[in-house]
Amino acid sequence: MSTQKTLLERRYATLGMALIAPTVLIFCAVIVYPLFSAIYLSFYSVFTPTLEGEWVGLSNYSELLQTGRFWNALGNTLIWTIGSLFLQIILGIGIALVLHQNIWFRSLARSLILFPYFISTVVAVLVWKWLFNDLYGILNHLLMKVGIIEFPMDFLGTMPNAMISVILVGAWKYFPFVVIAVLARLQSIPESLYEAAKIDGAGPVARFFDVTLPQLRDVLVVIIMLRAIWDFKEFDMIYLLTGGGPLDDTQTLPLLVYQEAFALNDMGMASAYAVVMMLIMLVFMLVYIRRTKDDGGV
Amino acid sequence: MAEVVFSNVQKKFGTFTAVHGLDLNINEGEFVSLLGPSGCGKTTTLRMLAGLEFPSSGDIRIGSRVVNDLAPGERDIAMVFQSYALYPHMTVGDNMAYPLKKRGVKKAEREAAVAKTAELLQLTPLLSRKPRQLSGGQQQRVALGRALVRDPQVFLLDEPLSNLDAKLRGYMRVELVELHRRLGRTMVYVTHDQLEAMTMSDRIAVMEGGKLQQFAPPAEVYAEPANRFVASFIGTPGMTLMDGDLTRQDGCWTFSAPGLSLPVGPLKDIAQPGPACFGVRPEHVRIGEGPVSGLVQVVEKTGHENIVIIGLEGGQRLTGRVPAPQSWTIGESVRLSFDTDFAHIFAAGTHGERLNLTQAPRSANHLNLTTVKTETQS
Repeated sequence: MSTQKTLLERRYATLGMALIAPTVLIFCAVIVYPLFSAIYLSFYSVFTPTLEGEWVGLSNYSELLQTGRFWNALGNTLIWTIGSLFLQIILGIGIALVLHQNIWFRSLARSLILFPYFISTVVAVLVWKWLFNDLYGILNHLLMKVGIIEFPMDFLGTMPNAMISVILVGAWKYFPFVVIAVLARLQSIPESLYEAAKIDGAGPVARFFDVTLPQLRDVLVVIIMLRAIWDFKEFDMIYLLTGGGPLDDTQTLPLLVYQEAFALNDMGMASAYAVVMMLIMLVFMLVYIRRTKDDGGV
Repeated sequence: MAEVVFSNVQKKFGTFTAVHGLDLNINEGEFVSLLGPSGCGKTTTLRMLAGLEFPSSGDIRIGSRVVNDLAPGERDIAMVFQSYALYPHMTVGDNMAYPLKKRGVKKAEREAAVAKTAELLQLTPLLSRKPRQLSGGQQQRVALGRALVRDPQVFLLDEPLSNLDAKLRGYMRVELVELHRRLGRTMVYVTHDQLEAMTMSDRIAVMEGGKLQQFAPPAEVYAEPANRFVASFIGTPGMTLMDGDLTRQDGCWTFSAPGLSLPVGPLKDIAQPGPACFGVRPEHVRIGEGPVSGLVQVVEKTGHENIVIIGLEGGQRLTGRVPAPQSWTIGESVRLSFDTDFAHIFAAGTHGERLNLTQAPRSANHLNLTTVKTETQS
């Protein structure tokens, strides 16, 4: 009897291995191999066009830690990530709360709100560049018309306007993700909790802080972690909007990696930047894994 | 402690009327159950009293105040929800303290009140736990504790026992009755379980289709159902109801159905010859002797008694009950009679009014049935 069972178990195990094997192979090809390649390359001084170079050990790392470019880019990355994430969360929760109410055109509004998230980054950036344009942009036109400014502002060419603009566009582009996740959670909060709170004497504000927010806590942790990781490695939107400028005032770490690799043709240095970036993101990932593991365990 | 009065209260959801012109007067300190099948309007009625639904017309009064325009938190009520609605992120102690906190009670007073209520409900060892770490029965007690801690004028309970297993439900029924006796507060209890309503209430408001069918003490609802619906809804197993005709000869009424002809007692003036319904509870069917003959179709053994379902010659079925040692076998031919003092005549229709003029004696005489059976066997 027990032998039969073991045989069955073995058959299941074989089937299981066969089913996950393709995924594991693809994962190794597209994730594990590039990852180890990057680590490997970071110990070399590599000329990008030929991918040839010599072993330099840890000198890429010591150089990047000593140059101001890394610290500047790290600072910019943190400002961009925190600023954009903060706005995404505030905007996301706010809009989700509105869309959770029985308002007219709720279904239509829920669909439309996803528009910025689904629109191609290139298209979004083009539209925003037109809006920001100092000669024919509608933003400057409106601000001048209502009398807030006298002369057109350079939104993308001066600081701190450029960083603020990047953060605003980022928040606009990615807040729908927060809306959808928060809305899904809001819909699963039992109505009886709100009714109990009403009877217990809680007003609308108290109900938000005592019922809604604690119920959103878990989903917010996951959203913040995921969006923090994604914002930290954001490349295309910032590159297309400012190209890291003015000077390198909006140059974040991913832009620096790109510049090192393909503008300065130093793939080794670029890899070292990428590895450091990965280590920083590893902290976020560990928090995320720990958080989701805790939730699963309860 | 306060009386609760519904005056011609109506509730509409769009074109659907959930509660029709309800008049209900609940006395101070009374335990009243709103009983009825799903969709009868009992929960809507309770929610209107709680302030969670707004009446479309009519007034609701708690004590001396008309509460129509008061928010739930201003009505001085407490409610226990079917799902308990405990705040999952708060500990048991915080859950219980929450209504006091929202009313600005100082921390020391809050803690004292929570400790006292926890003691009463044996929740003291659980105060620092989260709701998810508690069993269903414990969660139910915490929900009760959150309601009790504030000492409100009226307690509203919305099917609070329906999520518990049968044994715990029985235990909590006794606990609630004991609690009501001790606190003496007005309690309004919504249930679809007639056993809960019958065992716990001072009076039962039987509702159906958004209308109040009868509002009376449990014994009266059982013995003198106001209409055919109440008669069929109250009692397990249910009252046997047989459609037939009512005839009057020389001032005496006779009910007849296929294979059945029975003289019935004096009826109200509104009684008319024609279609009517005869009702008799299982304990008032005497199996063993009598003018009516039938065939035993089903015997349900519940342990302490046996439920016997008998098919009559005319195709009607009726239910009788006998103490456990006695039983009949399926297919056995039996004779039977009815204790006509306890039989009911209802006007035609699903909600036909009870037409009996005299009050039914309020005692179930199982012993008589035993006697009949014993005599037959001897």
